[in-house]
Amino acid sequence: MKVKLRPTGVIALRALPQSKMRTALRYVPPTTLIGAIAYPLLHISGDRRETIYERKTFKSKAESAMGLFKWTTIKTESKPKLYGSLLKINTIYQREKKVQSAVTSFPFAVLYGESSNSLTVVYLIDEEALSESTYSTKDLERAAWGITRLGSRESVVSAEDVNRGKAKIQEVNEAKTKYAFPFKGVDIRGKGTLQTVVDWRSGIGDYSNARRIVMFYPEGRVEVQGKLSIAELDGEVIILAS
Amino acid sequence: MFLSVGVRFEANVEALNMVETAGNYGKHRRVPYLVEEDGRLKTVYVPAMSGESLAHAYQEHLVNEALSADLPVCDDCWRMEFYKSMNKVHLKKKVDPIPDDPKKIEEAIVKACVVEDVGGFLYAEKPPVRRSSAFQVSYALPVKSVALFATSEPQLHARHAQMDASSKKGNASEQMIYYVETGTALYGFTFNLDLDAVGVSAITSKPILDENEIKKRREASLKALFRMLSSGQFGAKLSRFFPVGGITELVVSVTEHPFVVTSPIYDDYLEKTQRRLKVLESFGEEYLFTAATGEKVPEEALKEAIDYLHEKGAF
Ligand SMILES: [Zn+2]
Repeated sequence: MKVKLRPTGVIALRALPQSKMRTALRYVPPTTLIGAIAYPLLHISGDRRETIYERKTFKSKAESAMGLFKWTTIKTESKPKLYGSLLKINTIYQREKKVQSAVTSFPFAVLYGESSNSLTVVYLIDEEALSESTYSTKDLERAAWGITRLGSRESVVSAEDVNRGKAKIQEVNEAKTKYAFPFKGVDIRGKGTLQTVVDWRSGIGDYSNARRIVMFYPEGRVEVQGKLSIAELDGEVIILAS
Repeated sequence: MFLSVGVRFEANVEALNMVETAGNYGKHRRVPYLVEEDGRLKTVYVPAMSGESLAHAYQEHLVNEALSADLPVCDDCWRMEFYKSMNKVHLKKKVDPIPDDPKKIEEAIVKACVVEDVGGFLYAEKPPVRRSSAFQVSYALPVKSVALFATSEPQLHARHAQMDASSKKGNASEQMIYYVETGTALYGFTFNLDLDAVGVSAITSKPILDENEIKKRREASLKALFRMLSSGQFGAKLSRFFPVGGITELVVSVTEHPFVVTSPIYDDYLEKTQRRLKVLESFGEEYLFTAATGEKVPEEALKEAIDYLHEKGAF
């Protein structure tokens, strides 16, 4: 399933949600893509649960949607700019009559400019898992039209187009792609950005101990060599995580 | 039911969102706008308003609407300080002793405060309890096609102090000069409101409040949005930098499940939204679409949405 999204200009993705370090991700990681479709999907089923508490651990309900997908990735049309305006924070200690000030910033990725800045997300659906779930293909498609945001509540997007088709998975040694893929055992020709993200398979919600993977986000089309699993969707190629 | 609103508004000489003061210079929030020139990317900084700033304004209106409908608002929110039960100190004001069960914590907060019910909260203790905001706001950014005409200009101001010769000491100045950066642009932003989230637990998915109370809270959350838009009461420095202009266009969609109108920063947003909504018919979903772009004024379009929701039994 291919979903075309239009940003409202700014995508704020905290790289480390549990840390004071205020770094932001430039590109959207798979965990966020799963979370993005899980919200409308759960809405359709009337399930409002966000957090599941299991004894001492807790996780995001979005995880229940995770199994429906074999893989998910994104094509980012133009290179987002990371931007955070500087903020000065003044702390006044009344008793000591001391003033302390610090400079900080809350960066985010900006997808705002002359060009189209469209984002195309591919969800590779696991037909078997879907048939065993309470959802239908129609539900997934409606959910895709209902994607409202990527990450924080300011990162509003609208789903502009949704296409569904069959994809065959193949093993190849070479592929050309515009979609992000895991940077592992591959040779790449072309420009792009490496970004460490949470491995989506290790769960969604609590990232303090989550496994990380390095993803390569191409700028335009790149040539990739290595032992690759790929899927073709109307002329476009995505490289799967092994 | 899910409501999505796209707003285009003209704001001339505004200081709605200031980020920092460096000495005597108050700076407007800005974002980079990427322009391609001779195959190279160039950055132009245009004035902007953060979603956080608009969300704050919305929650202030929500406090007022909730109070006038006799709905509960906690002490912190009542003072327009949206700490949102972030820690034990703030939560204790709602429930003491604090329960161990996250469900009981959520229940206590939702019952005690409409703002945290609708606007979400994050209790960052053990166990952490979070509730996502039922509403989402994008940044307000200059409409793309005219973004390069957007400006932010510092305006010179002087503050005077009256002093006679005897009270004048040293170099004390009788006049202080300061600058306020003002923005001018045609802005666009998107606001979403998930009415099904109101009063329902994010842990059990079961209603925390009775039907009647939920309906009243939904109505208050809508009224807060409409009040904010029609009064133009959002952003900072309104007492002296109330922008010249107002809403030029507005579109509203009401759907059964989440759906976001195409952002009004794009010129084709109206047609695109309508065409995308048509697709929902193939899912057997009913919806309302209305726009105030020509003869209709924003209030009329918003009223249509209220009437539709009323008809659908949302409140
Ligand atoms: Zn409150």
